[in-house]
Amino acid sequence: MLPEGYQNVESTVRAVLADVLGLSAERVAAFEPATPLFGALPELDSMAVAGVLTEIEDRLGILIEDDEVDGDMLETFGALTEFAAGKALV
Amino acid sequence: MAPRIDHYDWSGGREMLLRFGPDTGPAVVAALPLFEEANRTRTFVVALLRALAARGIAGLLPDVPGQNESVTPLTGLTLPRMAAALAVVAPDRRTYALGIRSGALLDHATPHRGRWHFSPQTGEALLRDLHRTWRAAGNTGDRDGMLRSDMVEVAGNHLPSTLLSSLPAAPCVADRVVRLASDPAKADRRIDAAPLWHRAEPGTDPVLVQQLADDIAEWVTACEA
Repeated sequence: MLPEGYQNVESTVRAVLADVLGLSAERVAAFEPATPLFGALPELDSMAVAGVLTEIEDRLGILIEDDEVDGDMLETFGALTEFAAGKALV
Repeated sequence: MAPRIDHYDWSGGREMLLRFGPDTGPAVVAALPLFEEANRTRTFVVALLRALAARGIAGLLPDVPGQNESVTPLTGLTLPRMAAALAVVAPDRRTYALGIRSGALLDHATPHRGRWHFSPQTGEALLRDLHRTWRAAGNTGDRDGMLRSDMVEVAGNHLPSTLLSSLPAAPCVADRVVRLASDPAKADRRIDAAPLWHRAEPGTDPVLVQQLADDIAEWVTACEA
């Protein structure tokens, strides 16, 4: 079972994607760890990535360094959540 | 009632000014966020000033030099210079600052009676955002590397590095701060809404407009009492 903190991070990432990309609550509620993001969501272009990362930083009180940002962390919903949790839950 | 298009003169030239509501009494002077976020929040702030006018409170929306319709070149502008320009918008009225995001960095040179900020962003955080957006456009280099060029292009804005370098030192001090419920930073009140300034597709939020207009109107009335 995943720790409670992990689920909080996951719901934060879900809410950020809904708010920044303008996706419906139903659509983000259906996101699973394997759901592809960058390259699969037309709303998520490189400008939107900057907005998503900044919102995740603000809401979780973390700092994401630029050299940590790569294609892998944005590939799936699960990868982005894992990355954020790795920063927030220390 | 439609806003009236006016202007104000500062030492560097003439800028456009939108006037809302009564010509007498206290006025709220709004400052949009700088650069790209201004485009995403302008409709929202104009709606907010209209809602304040409907509550009997005057609003002014000056163009910051180098922003919106301003023809003042950004070269030679720094944040203190932009803030100094806004100080001559309404010298004869009792004014209150309404700062949205990095607009909160522009009111310190004006002797306002009070400062109300919505999700204020520090100059340091703005510079960090700009660097991230610059990197997202395919540029490489750390922040110092970005500032090494005289002119930096960020999301279509050509920004002199002297202006960017002036951001982190800007004071950001408010009498009342309202933030979104999702934002854990210090605030006097939190409202559940989405961050319009990070929206991939710009939009507005009529419910949030009414909530903030009530908050500002009550605050101004309390300050005036």
